Amino acid sequence: MDQLLQHCVNALVLGGTYALLGIGLTLIFGIMNVVNFTHGALYTFGAYAMYLAAVGLGINFYLALPVAVVAGLVLGAAIEFTLLRPLRRSDIDTTMLVMIGAGIILQSGALWIFGGVAKAIPNPMPDQPLNIGPVSVAWVRLFVFAAALVLIGVTYLTINRTRLGRAMRATFQDHDTAALMGVNVSLIYTATFAIGSALAAAAGALLGPVYVVFPQMGDLAAVKAFAIVILGGLGSIPGATIGGFILAFAEEIGAGYISSGYRDAMGFIIIIAVLLAKPTGLFARAERIG
Amino acid sequence: MSRVIAPLLLVVLALLPLWLKDPYLLNALIITGIFTLCAMSLNLLLGFTGQLSLGHVAFFGIGAYVSALTALGFDVELPFGLVLVVEPGSPLLGFVLAVLVTALCGYLIGRLAFRVRGAYFVIVTISFAEVVRLVALNWVDLTQGPLALTSIPNMVLPLPGLGETVLRTKMQNYYLVLGMAVVGYLVVAQLVTSRFGRAMRGLQQNESLALSLGINATRTLTVAATLSAAMAGAAGSLYAHYLRIIDPDVFLFSYTVTMVIMVVAGGKGTLAGPLVGGLIFGLLPVALRPVMAPEAQWIVYGGVLIAILFLMPQGIVPALDALTRRLRRARPAKSAPGAVEAGANP
Amino acid sequence: MPLTRRTTLAAMAFAFMASSAMAADPIKIGVNQPLTGAFAASGTYVVNGAKIAADEINAKGGVLGRKIELVIEDNKSNPTEAAAVAEKLITSDKVPVLLGAWGSSLTLATMPKLEEYSVPMVVETSSSGKITTSGNPFVFRISPPSAVEAEAFEPIAKKLGLKKVDFLVINNDWGRGAADDFSKMLKANGVQVGLVETMDQTSQDMSAQLAKLKASDADTIMVTAAVDQLTLLFKQMAALGLKKRVITTGGSQNPDQIIAQAGSAANDTLHLTTFLPWWPEKTPNAEATSYFLGEWKKRGFEFAGVTESFRGYDGIRTIAAGIAAGGAADPASIQKGLWAVNLSGLNGPIKFEKSGPKGKESGQSKPQVYLIEIKDQKIGHVQL
Repeated sequence: MDQLLQHCVNALVLGGTYALLGIGLTLIFGIMNVVNFTHGALYTFGAYAMYLAAVGLGINFYLALPVAVVAGLVLGAAIEFTLLRPLRRSDIDTTMLVMIGAGIILQSGALWIFGGVAKAIPNPMPDQPLNIGPVSVAWVRLFVFAAALVLIGVTYLTINRTRLGRAMRATFQDHDTAALMGVNVSLIYTATFAIGSALAAAAGALLGPVYVVFPQMGDLAAVKAFAIVILGGLGSIPGATIGGFILAFAEEIGAGYISSGYRDAMGFIIIIAVLLAKPTGLFARAERIG
Repeated sequence: MSRVIAPLLLVVLALLPLWLKDPYLLNALIITGIFTLCAMSLNLLLGFTGQLSLGHVAFFGIGAYVSALTALGFDVELPFGLVLVVEPGSPLLGFVLAVLVTALCGYLIGRLAFRVRGAYFVIVTISFAEVVRLVALNWVDLTQGPLALTSIPNMVLPLPGLGETVLRTKMQNYYLVLGMAVVGYLVVAQLVTSRFGRAMRGLQQNESLALSLGINATRTLTVAATLSAAMAGAAGSLYAHYLRIIDPDVFLFSYTVTMVIMVVAGGKGTLAGPLVGGLIFGLLPVALRPVMAPEAQWIVYGGVLIAILFLMPQGIVPALDALTRRLRRARPAKSAPGAVEAGANP
Repeated sequence: MPLTRRTTLAAMAFAFMASSAMAADPIKIGVNQPLTGAFAASGTYVVNGAKIAADEINAKGGVLGRKIELVIEDNKSNPTEAAAVAEKLITSDKVPVLLGAWGSSLTLATMPKLEEYSVPMVVETSSSGKITTSGNPFVFRISPPSAVEAEAFEPIAKKLGLKKVDFLVINNDWGRGAADDFSKMLKANGVQVGLVETMDQTSQDMSAQLAKLKASDADTIMVTAAVDQLTLLFKQMAALGLKKRVITTGGSQNPDQIIAQAGSAANDTLHLTTFLPWWPEKTPNAEATSYFLGEWKKRGFEFAGVTESFRGYDGIRTIAAGIAAGGAADPASIQKGLWAVNLSGLNGPIKFEKSGPKGKESGQSKPQVYLIEIKDQKIGHVQL
């Protein structure tokens, strides 16, 4: 019983992280129809930006976080402007390969600049975990969990309660009509990619202090993010959030009671099952084929 | 264009070992050839039906494992106390089984995965490959898991009058891979120009229209997936018997990425595209190796990929097609044969 | 950057590179290491260690009156590339001997090439048992396979009074091999073996495995993983309030990096290691250790890297000793010479014993194994 409780708490904390990884990708995927293979590299970028700000420049931990997020925002806008904008009319695999190329460059660049040795980012939270009965959880994980929920909430409100969000939703439903209605679609695309990138960088900046920072850290993060997005349905923020928690629970319970060797397989098995049962994901708002 | 490029490449590649004796470059060409074969099989799906599979490496890896396990023999415990014991067999049998098993896998995955399209299809295929990799990693009784299958015998070839010859040398393996590539090319060429090929391309261009014309989408796509998987399985078998060791790393996602790059950069939906893309992106790392730092090699690799897609969004072969068409128009001559290209028309 | 740069521009030109080495030419040693990809950090450390050895040997006049030259190639942490790199080093660069290839799957992939061209290789890091038991007479390993490590741990295990042990290992040949070999040894000594949990080599979150281990009734957890995952594990163990005896194996722990990155979470952990850079005077060859550490510092590398890089240093010194003992710089002489090597390495005598099927034995050197302890964020040598 104690073990089950601990698994559940672990899954809850991990799920918040996964949701954070997923929402940036689902925005870009859903609105721009771009399979963003730079997502993992942007996550890594956010972590290194956090490392440079907090360790390199010695900025206060809590102030370094927004610095890293803004850096991700700027890099995302630059990628969209230089690489995606000229390819607006290209098909999904051309843009995907360009994103793969950009991802390779970013990751190799990180290796070149920082070397392969992992870096640690110290955090100001207490070392001793919070103990509630038989269950323990680290303070830094709780902080990340709370921050993730705040970021998810802000993103959700941006999309559903602001003018920018309305334009983004219109573009998601039908970009030609949106353009006719006077929406500046190019600007919306840049904004969407920049926001998605900022969220990826935020995830990296928050998780860098929990884990360690190294050039390939984005690979696994990107795979999980793809799984979460598909689980939740493309373009759905609540879907990605719930998808993140489902994946985390499946992994925890799978590793705890089935086999730890198949821990990472759980997510994929669920995806295959979900897509066979309900091909558009669990919470898709609109179907998009092609 | 393919009708010019493919025979030309074949002649050059067939004569190459006569003067190229460097084993390292022959090795690079053999590996490139194996991945080009994979790229040709991926082109069947991606180029001619428009379905992007990012799990293609699964078939490559399954082919490698089936072939290696057949050649090495294994015993594995099954449920209900059964034990399956397989004695070591001929690599040739391994090759045949690799093709059959991957064809079956391709058929099953096709049946399942083609219920979804677009980005969802992409993710289902990635998931499939990842699950297969994790099975290969964790089913230690069968696959030895991360401990790797070692001492895999070289491929054998029954030659008329000579009995079975073990292909040990670089030269023999080079011609084996080249021969398989030619067979693969001819199979794809036959297929796409047939009635079936027209059905595939119909689906790619306008699925609803094709459906209204009575084309059975799922069946057509499933047949394409089956053939495509079988070809990738054949490539996997060649790989296992050439490298002589395999471990779950044969399922590396980066191998799929390499195949997709070869197809899209070369020109998807053209017969010669995967050949041109395969040679360029197979040999580019070899050419970069001596001139720059390892990290820089990757950066240039990514840069070349982006540059090709920016300059030739349709790929190299269609771009060459367009170029020759423009030259011909500028200097009108008698209409050249081979101007009509299977699937190359935009 | 640590690279082979050539003035030759076209790759095709390699085919014409002359093979006529003159007597005064340097003796080339091929170094096949992961410099990009998942193992980039470790491979780079090994290469840096190898360079120190090469410079030291050349400063003392080289081997057989010739300088040595390292030809360093990146195998991209990928077995296919590792085999291709071996092929390139042997056939294009004409190296008569290799050092490589860090990970076991990388080393295993190069082994058929060694047989094909009859060129020996000194294996500096890989631990898979298969490397020295599959009948490849061109392999000479200076790192301990897990069976050797387990054997060295036996007296320590008795003194620690272990009752029941769980395992948490990285899911590759290294981790699985360690779990198998240590289980066998422990069971033979009447110690119970409980859970064997695995983690993917890319995993960063091991909380599920740790929650399971926390609930188990074993008194000790033996962990096999590289430094980055160990750092994460200790942090996550602390977060879960998991307080059991933890012993790490495999020699890739890098305790200084763990202390720097995991802080107090690393306290009270035990580590089996093959090198004691903290107390050069306690190492089997104090003089060489001090020289190596001084040189490492002079070149501005992080101290934490020495527990990886000393293998590159010892590997090159082993090869140089093999060349000297063989009397000539051709593969066959070096292969013969390696059998005669008797060198005082940084972690004990390097001397190859026969291992594997008769007639085709590989060479295996048995380094010393030490137990160290992290207490109050300091490293201590456990004398039992």
